Amino acid sequence: MTLPNPRVVGLVAPVLMMFATCHPPPPPDPEGDLVARGRNIFFNETFNGNGRTCGTCHPAENNFAIDPAFIATLPRNNPLFVAEFNPALKKNFENPRLMREFGLILENQDGFDDLEHKFNMRGVPHTLALRTSVASPPGPRTGWSGDGAPGDGSVRSFATGAVIQHFTRTLNRVPGVDFRLPTDEELDALEAFQLSLGRQNDLTLPLPLKGTVPKRGQEIFLDNSLGKCNLCHVNAGATVIIGENNLGNANLNTGVEDLPDQPARLTDELVPRDDGFGIPGDSTFNVPPLVEAASSGPFFHNNSIETIEGAVGFYDGESFNNSPSGRFLANLDPEGAGIELDGTQIVAVAAFLRIINVLENTRQAIDLLKASNMMPSPRREEPGKLLDRALRRTDDGIKVLSSGGLHPAAVAHLKQARLLITIALEAHELGEIVEKVIREIEKARNELVEPT
Amino acid sequence: MRKLVPFVYLTFVLLLHVPGAYAQKSTERYIPIGQSPGLSGKHTLIGKVQAVNPQDRTIICSHAGGTALVKVAHNTKIWLDRSKLKLPNVAGTLADCSTDRLIEVKYKNNVHKDGGEAEWIKVQVTEAGAK
Repeated sequence: MTLPNPRVVGLVAPVLMMFATCHPPPPPDPEGDLVARGRNIFFNETFNGNGRTCGTCHPAENNFAIDPAFIATLPRNNPLFVAEFNPALKKNFENPRLMREFGLILENQDGFDDLEHKFNMRGVPHTLALRTSVASPPGPRTGWSGDGAPGDGSVRSFATGAVIQHFTRTLNRVPGVDFRLPTDEELDALEAFQLSLGRQNDLTLPLPLKGTVPKRGQEIFLDNSLGKCNLCHVNAGATVIIGENNLGNANLNTGVEDLPDQPARLTDELVPRDDGFGIPGDSTFNVPPLVEAASSGPFFHNNSIETIEGAVGFYDGESFNNSPSGRFLANLDPEGAGIELDGTQIVAVAAFLRIINVLENTRQAIDLLKASNMMPSPRREEPGKLLDRALRRTDDGIKVLSSGGLHPAAVAHLKQARLLITIALEAHELGEIVEKVIREIEKARNELVEPT
Repeated sequence: MRKLVPFVYLTFVLLLHVPGAYAQKSTERYIPIGQSPGLSGKHTLIGKVQAVNPQDRTIICSHAGGTALVKVAHNTKIWLDRSKLKLPNVAGTLADCSTDRLIEVKYKNNVHKDGGEAEWIKVQVTEAGAK
């Protein structure tokens, strides 16, 4: 055998090594590029306004929503608090007290002609699972009252209205002066990004749950003569199906505005009655999905209920059962009964909602972990950011299970996963650690549901 | 019960009170002519006021394709687009739809027909000192 010429080897070897260590270019991914561009706009673009971005009120680290606990962690100069330090926005733009104490933001749904008296105080809805929770036969339903977007009313157009309402430098709201409107290309990218967030499909219930109480909760949820939840939240989503009629993501009047002792109205602040969809409103509000609920409270359009148990219990109460939707359900019932649940049943339904939420949060965590371990990342984000979000989703799982007294063994696995993620955040090589994290999360999931 | 269900279903549908895709009108006011997302260039009419009949509450609008008669109902929203003057957009009236002013018309339910009713009209104001 003839040995290779050393000079040739010396010339060829570096070239071969270069090919061996270089990653091949990824195939073109126009959709992924659009989503990445949308992400950049969502979190960084201020549209020449007051400094806010979409991510100011919809931060990724808090399930794309804000609540008092998250708000309390923000520095005083965060643009969320622009009404506190921008003199032009000091009055009639936000109510800082209601924002900090209850997570409420100000909306002028019924017009801008009387800023002092005509406004609504609403919670910030998350932007997860939009692909499953906007479409309806009459048209898209966005925002808490289903009429959130100007133009054609679509998710794509929503950002235009949001910039006008929330990004303005002064209350004059002059385009080109107080803000600039998103371009068509930016709207396309923002839409692609938002639609990519969270679940892309509804669940298929029933799930093979393992916990005794969550299992019973799922039964009650699906029982159209008892919990009746599945009529308006099909598969724990945002779709209404009555009989054979699929109404899509509908608006309903469930009487939330009639609740007594709503937290914001216990203060001496002006909190006008919210009349919901349209001008003047018809008192209906949009049905939200439930999978994401347990880790994204407070609940309802006005953040009037803090806990998931309280939110389920609302449907057993007078405000709901006296509402048009409540009376409708009673009329459907052979005995004329609305929703009547006792304490243990309310807790059981809430436990079910906690479990499906943890399953979704852990699914997202695994997805983020896998993406962090790929080079280049299919999400086009830095591994550190992906790991951080996986950590937060894991923390959500721990919190949602623990605060419901559910599945301590699963909690232990998630805590171990959490520890490993914090180690991974400091590590230079992710590979094996990330695999260990994923295994721990999967062990946690296996405590909740039979593996498929 | 069987007879009750269709009736109850119909009641429910009426309770929903959803006539069609509904866009938010309050922020629409601040969007300049030609920039309404998903509408301008597709579902709206942009042209100049040729004539106004206050008694009939109609506007004749001349546009690239000819002329169109637009019915202005009492609940048709009229906004003055003052963005070219860098002034806030404000509510307007039929009286502001002066001859030769540029307007954008969104028809109710996007039904474009001669004499069709406008859901909203934006009127461009470019004269400094004008309303």
